[in-house]
Amino acid sequence: MPGELTLLERLEVLAGGARYDVSCASSGSRRKNGNGIGSASPCGICHSWTSDGRCVSLLKLLMTNACIYDCAYCPNRRSNDLPRTLPAPEEIAELTIGFYRRNYIEGLFLSTGVVRDPDYTMEQLIRSVWLLREAYGFNGYIHLKVVPGADPLLVEEAGRHADRLSVNIELPTRESLMLLAPDKSGEAILHPMRRIADLIRWRRDGRRARTAAPPFAPAGQSTQMIVGATGETDLQIMRLAENLYRTVELKRVYYSSFIPVNEDSRLPCATAPLLSREHRLYQADWLLRFYGFRSHEFLDEQHPQLDPAVDPKCGWALRHLHLFPVEVNRADYETLLRVPGIGVRSARRIVRARRRQHLGLDELPLLGVVMKRARYFITARGKYGGEEYLDGDRLRERLVEKRLTRDGEESQLSLFPAGEPAPGSAVTGEL
Amino acid sequence: MTIYCYDGSFAGFITVLACCGESGECPADITRNVPAQRGLFCEVSMVETDWWGYGRFLEKIARVISRHALRNAYHAFLSEDAGIEMAIHRYLSLGLLEGRRLDALLADKRVRPVHKAARKVRNEAHRMKGFVRFREVRHGFFYAALQPDCRIFTLIAPHFCTRFSDQNWVIHDMGRKEAVFHDASRQQWAVAGTDLALEPEYTDREMFYCELWRRYFSEAAIAERHNPALQKHMLPLKYRKYLVEMENGGP
Repeated sequence: MPGELTLLERLEVLAGGARYDVSCASSGSRRKNGNGIGSASPCGICHSWTSDGRCVSLLKLLMTNACIYDCAYCPNRRSNDLPRTLPAPEEIAELTIGFYRRNYIEGLFLSTGVVRDPDYTMEQLIRSVWLLREAYGFNGYIHLKVVPGADPLLVEEAGRHADRLSVNIELPTRESLMLLAPDKSGEAILHPMRRIADLIRWRRDGRRARTAAPPFAPAGQSTQMIVGATGETDLQIMRLAENLYRTVELKRVYYSSFIPVNEDSRLPCATAPLLSREHRLYQADWLLRFYGFRSHEFLDEQHPQLDPAVDPKCGWALRHLHLFPVEVNRADYETLLRVPGIGVRSARRIVRARRRQHLGLDELPLLGVVMKRARYFITARGKYGGEEYLDGDRLRERLVEKRLTRDGEESQLSLFPAGEPAPGSAVTGEL
Repeated sequence: MTIYCYDGSFAGFITVLACCGESGECPADITRNVPAQRGLFCEVSMVETDWWGYGRFLEKIARVISRHALRNAYHAFLSEDAGIEMAIHRYLSLGLLEGRRLDALLADKRVRPVHKAARKVRNEAHRMKGFVRFREVRHGFFYAALQPDCRIFTLIAPHFCTRFSDQNWVIHDMGRKEAVFHDASRQQWAVAGTDLALEPEYTDREMFYCELWRRYFSEAAIAERHNPALQKHMLPLKYRKYLVEMENGGP
């Protein structure tokens, strides 16, 4: 491996290689500072936002961009002609501490290409993290990638130092994985995920039983998959996500819209990333995690794709108009959550406020309800929020998010509605 | 009708509320500065901070209403919004009648402004935990300049204290001309009025780390997803002045 790259160049290469990793969450862990440096804040902190609007919370690096695999979608695949570098673990640790001391970052996100074999790579990852934790006394957040196919003992060791572990599931089906990432098997990916889930459960139960269980990945595990590189429907994707949430204790599934970085006959031809689809998938994901929905409620064989024009909750409500309108002063929390325009925060506020006063339509916007959508689905003190009862089609027309640019193309939906700046909250899941 | 003036501190403000509570009088206004214009029939009263009265009143709020309400009042006070003093006065007066149910009156026009201001302060404090940029100066400590809208020092100092307990650091509010100083040897922080006499001199290592960080920052963006509008929404221009990666407009 050529060693002529300067530190600056190595940083560029390794940061550039890691930029496609989506996860940047620094939430869910509460680490206290003992004698060293750093702490982890349970709600997570964003430190900056890059020109693509994504937040910078962790120093996202590859340990190395050298890789023995040849996955079709990956910029670091073996067959690409790139400068390759493998810095010493000391260098990574020092860089992390240097950035951390200046409050640029919340911690480290360390991913890697696979050198030699999965076990060797995993050992190197653990060495970097061990160095940070033990030699530098670092108590900040660490997110560590687990290499598919690595030994279960190494996975366990990784979880002792890291706050969050993640194994990338890469693609939504085994067939796609076979096609685009022939070096990785579905089993090699799922096996460590299950192992991590077992260890997380074991630790949780251990804590409950008040035995001194050693900490294991206190911020849980996550995964990510590429959407749009292969032909899976939203239905397949959401079913997979739902299964993962249920079976392997995932905190998050990240969906990353396919960006063509390689010329490859197995990949769809170069297109701009479909950010609106990604956005809808995230909305659906939120419904699974915070709104008590099951995937079959908003997606089925007849409707295998999410509606691009309205958000998934609106879509569901439009197909279940017989359940509406609901009376905000009487409906239970779970029912309120299902009303378009009412979120976790506003539903909680409604439940709290109505103990003291009978809510009218005028008070609802004060509680954070988005009346533009909610009005058609609620009554307050018996009064209906919309001007008139509308049938499904006409109502849908009203609810379509009209965001057309001048040349008539659909513009990018922003991930966050304009208005109140929302700092991270682990409760409402903003991170 | 009386306009009350206090010294600008929270204790001073609470002293005013305690005085009003005792006399049962409703003030015409509560301000930190002697108003230039005053109503024809208003008299102006300067209130000296009374630490005993302050302590008693805080205890009363916590007992009769809740600690939560006290926290909201304090955070709202830190917003330094125009008229926030009277808003807090109305909020706490209602609270003394309603008791612990106060914070459930979410839609009440006396409660909402205070909740809103308190949330604004907490949001900004949370953001500032991310936006502080420490720079190593030649005199052996880390210096960060800031210009927040609200007086958020007391909310962020404990966070940086635990996080960088082994570091001597200063966070300087350029707008209010005051700073938090942290002393690593004593593990304590204090706020004091401060102004810059000279531009701070940074170490060579500092300049190198800034360069590393700028390169990292521009390298982390995905060109195909370029979205400066979203970036601007999340990272408003007013906060960019002291961000290392945003110097000269940023990438």
